[in-house]
Amino acid sequence: MKKIVINGRGVWGGVSEGPAMVSRETIQGWSGLDEETGTVIEKGHPFEGLSIKGAVLVLSGGKGSNGWSSHFHAARLKGLAPAGFVFPKMDSRTGVAVVVTKVPAVTDLEEDPFEAVRTGDWVRIDGDQGTLEIIRKDGSE
Amino acid sequence: MIRLTDPEKSVLDGKEGPLKKRALQFIVDYARVLGAERLCDVTRAHLFAGAHHYMDACLSDDIDEVISEMLLCSPEVVNLDCFACYAQSDVGPMDPVKWDILGIPRERSAKNRSILEKFTKAGLFPAATCTPYLSGFLPRRGEHYVSTESHAVVLMNSLWGACANADGIEAAFCSAVCGKTPFWGNHVMSNRKGTHHFRVEFTPETVMEWDLLGYVTGSRTPTHSIPVLSGDLGDPGVVELKSCFASMATTGGAELCHIAGITPEAPDLDQAFGGKASLAEEIITFRDIQAAAELFAGSGTAVEYVSLGCPHYSIDQVRDAAVILEGRKVNRGTELWIWTSPAVKDMSDRAGYTSTIELSGAQLVTSSCPLVCEAWPREASSLAFDSLKQAHYIRPQTRSAVYFGSMADCIEAAVTGKWERRSPR
Repeated sequence: MKKIVINGRGVWGGVSEGPAMVSRETIQGWSGLDEETGTVIEKGHPFEGLSIKGAVLVLSGGKGSNGWSSHFHAARLKGLAPAGFVFPKMDSRTGVAVVVTKVPAVTDLEEDPFEAVRTGDWVRIDGDQGTLEIIRKDGSE
Repeated sequence: MIRLTDPEKSVLDGKEGPLKKRALQFIVDYARVLGAERLCDVTRAHLFAGAHHYMDACLSDDIDEVISEMLLCSPEVVNLDCFACYAQSDVGPMDPVKWDILGIPRERSAKNRSILEKFTKAGLFPAATCTPYLSGFLPRRGEHYVSTESHAVVLMNSLWGACANADGIEAAFCSAVCGKTPFWGNHVMSNRKGTHHFRVEFTPETVMEWDLLGYVTGSRTPTHSIPVLSGDLGDPGVVELKSCFASMATTGGAELCHIAGITPEAPDLDQAFGGKASLAEEIITFRDIQAAAELFAGSGTAVEYVSLGCPHYSIDQVRDAAVILEGRKVNRGTELWIWTSPAVKDMSDRAGYTSTIELSGAQLVTSSCPLVCEAWPREASSLAFDSLKQAHYIRPQTRSAVYFGSMADCIEAAVTGKWERRSPR
């Protein structure tokens, strides 16, 4: 397939890649993430039962508790951090989460990432260049 | 590109010590992530303090190391000895007096005491409540503050026009230590206009109905929106609004909510939206809040655990609970916990409400809540709350049935040991 690169603003440096987990519905701050396993436990969430470990999270933003960041912070210390973050627009909850998780992150993208990326696609984030690259669509070679 | 002042650069150079340097470095990193162009001075901070469960991710027994890693995100161990602004504590992971009857292990209690001592020696006021505004935390319009409690941010931003973002535990702590936060988001007055219009087609009459209204509004509030409520909303006070904002900040990400004709930045609808059209308009009816109540309804089942007071009860709510409990006994086999702040409990002790509550077999507890202290009976067949925030967050963590009702509904359930189907009105 043709390489797809979406330009944006890098907010945390470094390059990483992994399977995308994409949801317009963000994860709630409290009772959203099980810190022991990295699994999403929010009832009815599209990611319910899935682990964030090593995934590139594409989320609309934060909601719920002001402790949003602390759950990602704890996940990092337990070796369960995501590989990177993609946010169409930053907010205060996700902004702090990026700083404490210390993984490559991009925002302010030229294209709507919810249209371009699907859960399961293999993506690469370059937080220095501010790019999101779709390397392989889910199911394609 | 962020511009720093000379005094800020000097702190980053370490001229005021490693603690302040690390804290300001965090805030500068955070400001860059947000895309802020400068920082502003913070005058008040409301902070998580204590041996909270998420801090267990740092395995060290050294308190300085735990604070450095979990609050400053610093690999270098620094000593917390000073805050740069007025600071008071949010809820902690236990009642510091009744921790044993809550089933909190002695080691966690000891660790909690050590961390709190560290914070109070550094100047933190141990208010220990999620309702800081009921214990002297009163930022005026335009004043920049930080808070680790989501509903407190919505309330103080909305009711008084004070300025904070929902930026989280680590950033709030770093702001308190260095006295700075990114000048971004709600700190910029021009960013505070409403975006989404919720036309409420009923008049909420009780705290329970305001809680439900917040729950429904939050669930329909898109990320990054500023909701505006309009309609014949009656005459809500701080008790109704703290419940409304608590559930709104649970199902959604709102950090500010204008109520036309009630909150100061919304003397009317036009000014609430800054003269612009809303991005979307929705109607909320009484049927909508009935449907939300159905999510936590039930009938005829035994209740083993009842908890009141999220957000922490005000003194008049404690009195109301005491009045309902006077001369009655909590069912054997049912626990009734009522949560408030230490300051309110002190008033309640002197007014005689505490003894009335305790005579009934209920407990008046402070400084925490079921969600934060994680102390509710795991084997109970059902749990009841007068707060949708507690009910919503605890449900994914339990196999027990979870019910929501008014203060009176919950106390009735505690006394009879049975939950009866409730519906607002």
